[in-house]
Amino acid sequence: MAALIPNVISMQSEFIQATLETLYMTFFSAIISAILGLLFGILLVVTQPKGILEDALTYSVLDKVVNLLRSIPFIILLAVISPLTQFLIGTTVGTTASLVPLVFGIFPFYARQVQNALLDVDHGVVEAAQSMGSSPSEIIFRVYLREGLPDIIRVSIVTVISLIGLTTMAGAIGSGGLGDIAISIGYARFENDVTFVAMIIILILVFAVQLIGDWIVKKVEHY
Amino acid sequence: MTEQNIIDLKNITVTFKNGATPVKAVDNVSLAIPRGDIYGIIGYSGAGKSTLVRVINLLQPPTSGTITVNGQNLQQLPPKALRQARKKVGMIFQHFNLMKSRTVLGNVEYPLLSQKITAAERKQKAQKLLALVGLAEYAATYPSQLSGGQKQRVAIARALANDPEVLISDEATSALDPKTTKAILELLEKLHETLDLTIVLITHEMQVIKTICHNVAVMDAGKIIERGRVASVFTDPQQPLTTDFVETSTNVKAAIERITATVKVDELAADQELIYFNFIGNSAKQSIISDLAQQYKIDVNILFANIDQIDGENVGYMIAIITGDLAGFDQAITKLKDNGVKARRLSQPKGAD
Ligand SMILES: Nc1ncnc2c1ncn2[C@@H]1O[C@H](COP(=O)(O)OP(=O)(O)OP(=O)(O)O)[C@@H](O)[C@H]1O
Ligand SMILES: [Mg+2]
Repeated sequence: MAALIPNVISMQSEFIQATLETLYMTFFSAIISAILGLLFGILLVVTQPKGILEDALTYSVLDKVVNLLRSIPFIILLAVISPLTQFLIGTTVGTTASLVPLVFGIFPFYARQVQNALLDVDHGVVEAAQSMGSSPSEIIFRVYLREGLPDIIRVSIVTVISLIGLTTMAGAIGSGGLGDIAISIGYARFENDVTFVAMIIILILVFAVQLIGDWIVKKVEHY
Repeated sequence: MTEQNIIDLKNITVTFKNGATPVKAVDNVSLAIPRGDIYGIIGYSGAGKSTLVRVINLLQPPTSGTITVNGQNLQQLPPKALRQARKKVGMIFQHFNLMKSRTVLGNVEYPLLSQKITAAERKQKAQKLLALVGLAEYAATYPSQLSGGQKQRVAIARALANDPEVLISDEATSALDPKTTKAILELLEKLHETLDLTIVLITHEMQVIKTICHNVAVMDAGKIIERGRVASVFTDPQQPLTTDFVETSTNVKAAIERITATVKVDELAADQELIYFNFIGNSAKQSIISDLAQQYKIDVNILFANIDQIDGENVGYMIAIITGDLAGFDQAITKLKDNGVKARRLSQPKGAD
């Protein structure tokens, strides 16, 4: 073991620390992005032309904001967003500071995914609910979110996996985490075993997310 | 609330702006539906039937015209009152539109979620409705496990949950086989009787109209081109489209095609003609044949005959070759008209060419 991964053995506590940092970044930015993404996704669907709360202005503004944010490469977003990070967190470096660019990097992506998931909800079912006198909020919560739940969970899995990927880049602003170890220690010091083990841990996280997600989808889907 | 017409649409026009050319899906239609009626609306695809009925609960706001349901002008209601009014108009659809994330019971409970009743009361009411449509034992199943006919029954139970006074059926049987269609129509008829429901039924099959409707309106290109009691529309269609629907549903169309293909109309003797008879009442058929034979010395050779029950009346169709004194025949037919018999020549009048 020691012969295969000589540098990792001596860095056990750093690896534990980095894994926790990655989990921390993923978890909190996922929570915040979920709220923002769901909000944007739902608003996009209900305000779209022929939506239940059709509103051309809101729709086009949201649509453009999402497109714009999605167009910025993450590595640039990390830097460009630093004034906002400074304002919100009080610093622009560190694990917590990375939450701001992570959220802005992932929530527009999630919003689009949620929008697509909700667009797949049969329009006839929405119309049936309207014919039964359901209010817009009842239709959102009892029809869209409920009928779209399996798909929302599916896109959430994809999003969390993408998010884990983004956290590794946040090392560029001193976020720590597995990506940071892989690059600033493993790559910089030519300690390939460190890079390799960091990758393995990330893969394990990704598989775990996929497995748990698939299991939940199976529980909630009825066809 | 004892207005005679539970639904009163006045001068409804719906225009869709599809790109450059606006489509008038509904074109100045006025339609009054009497309380307690089963009113059919028939027309080919694209005639504007769905658009028209979606106006009834304002799912489709009209470009112009007024909508009165149960004495209320729906267009003047604020959103909340409109939703309340919609609850009194149940709707079922061609593709059932059930929620796949909810059980059968959950689907029927859905409209009750916004009512201020306990979960137990809600469940009890939903179960009662499921029993009414004959699906009591399917409460815990998911819609994906049901047949089309069963799904439509669930949709009917759901549509009844708010105790509506009107049930709109938009091609509810179009995705079902003839046997299931018949069962669903029987269920609707039963509900009409037991719950005092007014039913508005859209279809493109005259067979469906014939089975349960009292009144019918024929739609074409956004307009109602003909309307009236089903029996009279059946026996005396005024418009070519209506005639087409009627003859398709009674098999007369197929029979005429078959007969004119086999009987060489040109080869009929000088004293022969091919005639299509149409009559109301059971005794009519006998009397045509005997009257013609005895009083007018005309023989009737029947090639096709069919009797239908329409809105409680027997309506008959007959294609026959008559032989004898043709001058007397016209006279006879004028007289028979008073007994509800009509005749139409399928062969060219002699000496016409
Ligand atoms: N939401 C819409 N936007 C634009 N055009 C529409 C819309 N709904 C219907 N139309 C058009 O209006 C016309 C009437 O459509 P409608 O659905 O009312 O016909 P229908 O008689 O119900 O036909 P079907 O038997 O196929 O259901 C069609 O030309 C259709 O393309
Ligand atoms: Mg239609």
